[in-house]
Amino acid sequence: MSDNATVTTVSALGNDLAGKYLTFYIGNCTYGVELVHVIEIIGIQDATSVPGVPAYIKGIINLRGRIVPVIDVRLKIGEEEKAYDERTCIIVINWQESLVGLIVDSVSEVIDFSADQLSALPEFSNVNTKKYLSSVCKTGNRLVLNLDCEKFLTDDTVSELHG
Amino acid sequence: MSVFDASMEPMVEMFIYETTTLLEQLDEILIDSEKAQNMTTDNINEIFRIMHTIKGSSAMMGLSSMSELAHHTEDMFFIVREDPSKMHGSLSGTIFDLLFQSSDFFKAEVEAIQENSEEYQPSDASDLTAMIADVIPQLKGLAPVKAPVIKPVAAKESTTAAAPSAPSAPAPQAVKPQDPQGETHAVRVFFEDGCQMENIRAFMLLTQLKDYCDEITSEPENPENNSACSSEIIKNGLLVRFKTSLPLEQISSIIENSVNIKSYEYEGSQSNSTASADAAAAAPHTQVVTDVQSAPVADLTESAPEAAPQEAAAQTARQGTKQSLISVNQIKLDQLMDVMGEIVIAESMVANNPELRNLHLDNFYKSTRQLRKLTDQLQDIVMSIRMVPLSGVFQKMNRIVRDMNKKLGKDVVLNTVGGETEVDKTINDVLADPFMHMIRNAMDHAIESPQDRVAAGKPAEGIITLSAQNVGGEIVITIADDGRGLDRSKILEKAKKNGLLNKPEKDYTEKEIFQLIMLPGFSTNEVATEFSGRGVGMDVVRKNIEKVNGVISIDSKKGVGTTFTVKIPLTLAIVDGMEVAVNNETFTIPITSIRQTFKLSSEIDLLTDTEGTEMVMLRGICFPVIRLHKIYNIDTSVTALEEGIFILVESDSKSACLFVDQLMGEQQVVVKPFPAFLNRYSIKGNGLAGCTIMGDGSISLILDVNNLLNNF
Repeated sequence: MSDNATVTTVSALGNDLAGKYLTFYIGNCTYGVELVHVIEIIGIQDATSVPGVPAYIKGIINLRGRIVPVIDVRLKIGEEEKAYDERTCIIVINWQESLVGLIVDSVSEVIDFSADQLSALPEFSNVNTKKYLSSVCKTGNRLVLNLDCEKFLTDDTVSELHG
Repeated sequence: MSVFDASMEPMVEMFIYETTTLLEQLDEILIDSEKAQNMTTDNINEIFRIMHTIKGSSAMMGLSSMSELAHHTEDMFFIVREDPSKMHGSLSGTIFDLLFQSSDFFKAEVEAIQENSEEYQPSDASDLTAMIADVIPQLKGLAPVKAPVIKPVAAKESTTAAAPSAPSAPAPQAVKPQDPQGETHAVRVFFEDGCQMENIRAFMLLTQLKDYCDEITSEPENPENNSACSSEIIKNGLLVRFKTSLPLEQISSIIENSVNIKSYEYEGSQSNSTASADAAAAAPHTQVVTDVQSAPVADLTESAPEAAPQEAAAQTARQGTKQSLISVNQIKLDQLMDVMGEIVIAESMVANNPELRNLHLDNFYKSTRQLRKLTDQLQDIVMSIRMVPLSGVFQKMNRIVRDMNKKLGKDVVLNTVGGETEVDKTINDVLADPFMHMIRNAMDHAIESPQDRVAAGKPAEGIITLSAQNVGGEIVITIADDGRGLDRSKILEKAKKNGLLNKPEKDYTEKEIFQLIMLPGFSTNEVATEFSGRGVGMDVVRKNIEKVNGVISIDSKKGVGTTFTVKIPLTLAIVDGMEVAVNNETFTIPITSIRQTFKLSSEIDLLTDTEGTEMVMLRGICFPVIRLHKIYNIDTSVTALEEGIFILVESDSKSACLFVDQLMGEQQVVVKPFPAFLNRYSIKGNGLAGCTIMGDGSISLILDVNNLLNNF
């Protein structure tokens, strides 16, 4: 059962969400997702599995009466499955008027990127992960890979190589 | 430039709602009355009241054409009310037509306002108004000699054409008729909370009363000139002092019939010329009528245990149901549902808190059980709020049939069955349009003219049957006519001409041919009529029904009739389900498709065919076994057929035994569709109809037995 006390309604933080990214970890990599899409972050909860869907769709959860499908980002980008722990979170994003949950290893922080900090994808990056990314950004000594929600959610093929 | 100024904006919505509700009532009354060829006194009073309210509220909104028309209709009914026998006379047909037309005019206006109140421009109703004005003298001419006392009033009514009319129903309270003249009565009127512009409403009331009373004074004075006195009116009410020659009941019913009156209080009378004993008796007689509208409901509950006169009871009940409805924004209902879900989850978090384990807390568990019971109840209520009966949609169809009968010169009766079947509000809203199309099609194309029908050996009267029922967790709605049926060769010909065929003509089965009529750009009638035949009909119908995940099928026999069957899968509907468990997962099987549950015992034979399909023999019939854990890849410890339990389920054409770990119990569930995100996967093909949220906040998947049996 989710610990509802930790629910953070990120979308309430302010109107000016453009250029803000919520970063999260998958293994050692930092990923970012545009804050405008993010509805909230909730703790991991048991999903009801649904037959007939790809393995990376863990199933559906009940979010205050709404049925929300949850995707394990690890599996989707071709990483190995990892047991969920107390740091595992579900980032609920709004996609085409409906909610989708992304299971991530842990949530990091909200970073403000200016347009010139964002750069196009470098040529050498892994092709399979790359198809889900919109841009990369260097902040401090970290590289943040920004997910393109549209590509990430509509492309059905699972990357086979590790990113 | 908008017709409504900015200060009216908040009232527009209320006006729309109020008027729409009234018009729906009006239509219902009219259809019923016309069918019965008779109008009861109640109905006449009701129509009168409706027109009166519409007149008042539209005048307040500054919609003069609407209020004019309502005013004339009211005039017409004033005469009818005095002598209901006129509704049987030669003019009754005209009156009904005028009423229907007026109702349509109001509806069109309200719709126009609803669509865009900024750019709305009132339409002209002068034609209708003139027609009604023509009928009024004719009606009066027919008046029998009786009721001569009242007649002058009626005459005055229609000639002055400005005065609102008198009471609709006898006033419920027993205020004695007062000796006329000389006495000043005082009435304190309170307006509904939040009805806004109290000062204007006060002014309207005063203007209305002016026609019946002399020497009207009010406190505060001249409310229309000073909007600041609104707050005073809200606080202290509007005190009206007047002298009248009319009986007091009449005045009180005028007040009652005005819009937005919450309550009024008769504060007594002061006689300044003749201090009659009567007046003295009446002076301390302070009458408080709280909430004029819902008073009858209270009456009913009080008098119910006694054998109250049936007619009176029926009337109060009718008024009661009407007034106990309120409109709620759907968004609020969605929010309520969300919060409800949270409460259920929170409740189970408290009751099953791991920190409480191993503690003996008898009182605590007693309280949590109580809480559980209440949340369950609350959940039931919340979920049922969204359900509305289909009767509203059916009612609209009655109206269409009636209008088309008149215009096409046909004689068609609409039978409706199962109007009480409940569907979610969203589905209900989507269904009205496609049904209207189908009924129109049936009226226009399918059912022959009375002459042709008689020639074909059928009764002259055509019948369209509209029925709805909850079958196997599906809402099945059929629209059947006894018309000429679909002409296969004509459909094929037409489809060919329009290039809709994609295989050789003779390869089409009957069903496929019928399905052709639902393709875009198909219409079999050579001549497009006012009602149908523009070739957009049936494909729009199909699209609308598919919007709510429904399917439509057609069955037709030449010369006998056509039946359209619309099946709406359980989406959003409430079903009775049996909860079953397979390992940790729960599934819901609609009770309607369950025939039997049983455990394997020595009397039941277990068979295996050459391909390894397991079967059980029950009463001499073999049923294949479907192991749920196998088809859904669930790891469970219960794999031996002896340990689990079998559920014999049945679809349209097949039966099978589902094998599950255990039964959890029966429960009513609200079906939720799978998230749109999952639509591209074949979940439906896997025999799942949707999901539902259980009492503990977990999700259970609902099996679609039809699909399940067809695919496994």
